[in-house]
Amino acid sequence: MDNECYLHKAKYVMLETRLLNTGLAKKVWSCSTMNTNELCGNNCNLFVGGFKDLGTVVKLLQEDLGGVRLFGYKLHNDRIEFGEMKDFDEIPTTVADIQKPGYFRISSTGYRFRHSFSSPKAFLLPPEHSILTVSQGYEIVEDGDGEMGVVFLGIKPCDRKAMSILDGILYGKSPVYTKRRDSIKAIIVEECLEPGETCFCSAVKAGPTISSGFDIAYARLYKDTLVFKYGSSLGEKILVKAGLQKAQDSHVKAYFEMVANAISMMNSRISRVEELQKALKERIGDKSFWEKVSSNCVGCGNCNYVCPTCFCTEINDIVEEGYSKRIGMWLGCLTYTYGLVAGGHFRQELYTRYRHFVLHKFLFYPKQVGDVGCVGCGRCITWCPLGVDLRDTLNLLVEGGTR
Amino acid sequence: MKVELQKDNYTANPFVFRKALVVNKVEEAPGIYTYFLKFDGEFKILPGQFNMLYVYGLGEVPISLSNLPIFRNGYTLLEHTVRVMGAVTKAITLGLGIGSFIGIRGPYGNGWPLKDAEGRDITIVGGGIGIAPLRPIIKYVEREREKFGRMNILLGARTPRDMPYKYELDKYGAILNTKLLLSSDTPADGWVHHVGFVTDLINNIDVNIKNSVVFVCGPEVMMRVAVKKLLGRGFRKEDIYLSLERRMRCGIGVCGTCQFGHYFVCRDGPVFRYSDIEDYLWVEGI
Repeated sequence: MDNECYLHKAKYVMLETRLLNTGLAKKVWSCSTMNTNELCGNNCNLFVGGFKDLGTVVKLLQEDLGGVRLFGYKLHNDRIEFGEMKDFDEIPTTVADIQKPGYFRISSTGYRFRHSFSSPKAFLLPPEHSILTVSQGYEIVEDGDGEMGVVFLGIKPCDRKAMSILDGILYGKSPVYTKRRDSIKAIIVEECLEPGETCFCSAVKAGPTISSGFDIAYARLYKDTLVFKYGSSLGEKILVKAGLQKAQDSHVKAYFEMVANAISMMNSRISRVEELQKALKERIGDKSFWEKVSSNCVGCGNCNYVCPTCFCTEINDIVEEGYSKRIGMWLGCLTYTYGLVAGGHFRQELYTRYRHFVLHKFLFYPKQVGDVGCVGCGRCITWCPLGVDLRDTLNLLVEGGTR
Repeated sequence: MKVELQKDNYTANPFVFRKALVVNKVEEAPGIYTYFLKFDGEFKILPGQFNMLYVYGLGEVPISLSNLPIFRNGYTLLEHTVRVMGAVTKAITLGLGIGSFIGIRGPYGNGWPLKDAEGRDITIVGGGIGIAPLRPIIKYVEREREKFGRMNILLGARTPRDMPYKYELDKYGAILNTKLLLSSDTPADGWVHHVGFVTDLINNIDVNIKNSVVFVCGPEVMMRVAVKKLLGRGFRKEDIYLSLERRMRCGIGVCGTCQFGHYFVCRDGPVFRYSDIEDYLWVEGI
């Protein structure tokens, strides 16, 4: 029995046992009659290996692409950050993360982590980036940033989807974003089989698996057992070259069971997106509701900075040695400055800024880029110093604010 | 991986500005100045659009075009009316005299729908510095008079002294088939016009409401009152256009700071049809 047969069987099992009443189940069901499917994208040609094999895959990919730098998640001061990696083995494999609203700790028991505090956004649209350098005589001095090639290693499906959302806003328009986006030569995704406590990616269709927009994806089945799949011809070439074994029946079964588990765990964490959108439209001007749900917010903007899809920036001029450097800097909509103009303020009250964050993700992004702007990574919840939980706001919306 | 993305209109760094020479500066009212900026070459811009004006070391401000551009002998002359508000506008008005340079990039935004207004009556409602972006409409209608119906121009300011373009208001009233109505929020010696809000004047206009276009610009509170009064008189939602203001940094829809509901005011506006923004206009801080 090959993988494909198992795929259908696994999907059937999922439908029967866990997903019957969820929106995703309907989608999977309709897809299971076709050749492609929502979960894999290439008929689930699954391969199996360990971290050593991942190392081989990365090495082969680097050889194939030539002179590329690796970016991914790595340990940094007892947290996990997104940044440049010296080697593939910087991927944390012997630690887990414990995440709760307003809480993040690294634990040495366990081997799965969910996500970093910084996302690929930190690479694509750096917190501070040069826009222009101007002389006193108003002449432009161009900054000659060199060409680069980059591989994203092990990014999670939620972060990969966040990139597509940012593409919709910034690609082809923001010079720094466009250049950095074009520098990405390959994407390796790590699927999440055990969601963290603040995660809800499946509820916004951003995970825990990925079906397109990647070259190679892997999932950590057990400690050193990884299930691989490819999402592009480049990925296929590399996996074949690496000599990976086809996954056995037991692996495929375990993989789909874990995926189904993860989905059923997360889907119930927020209301259905369509219901949320309806409630948001009705509540848009309900000041007392927004004041209530934002009452613990202090307007620090942490949520904005850790959010993989927040893109707002300020432009500051910094004068040095006869030149003015125009620097783009992240600006969070939760901070007081957002909406502040000389002689007035368009969002003076904190509730209006908190509301913008929520409305933008769920109502405005769909109109701006055609998809919900929240990827359910839960970073805004984990890294909120006050533990303000976006999911509470969303659930209150639908429940009618009586809780 | 082959990234399937499309670069739309992306050529070079869109933040690169052009260098313009200040050739004239007119004090309109206390704290309000009109700058005449000259460039080599043609600079295409439409009434209702705006430019980002850059002052070295300080930053940029979005300023609407305040007169029709003049293009002749290989150079362009643009007018921008600036009111002193923050650091950059202070630097412009205090620091930039005739003969100074300024950075300018644009044009941005959509502009007033003057083509759609052809054959219809035009009503202009402006308050304070909000008159500046409306002024090119008046000039355009004057130039292409036969294309439009009756024109009503309603202009208001806090005091008569604060009214910009005082020296040419009479000329507006003298345009064929045009009525000029002025208002001052506070009474003043020698002021023979309305005392109160400019929006009060909406009750006094005589137009074919069913075949009209209304262009409004001013403080947002004033624009809301204007909308209410216009709707009350039977103007259609689709015929009312407002020019909005927001915090703006880029002008090209990437900095995100000018969001108004799901719109980027810099790119989707600054001119909006009321029917497109009615869900947002009444929501404080949206």
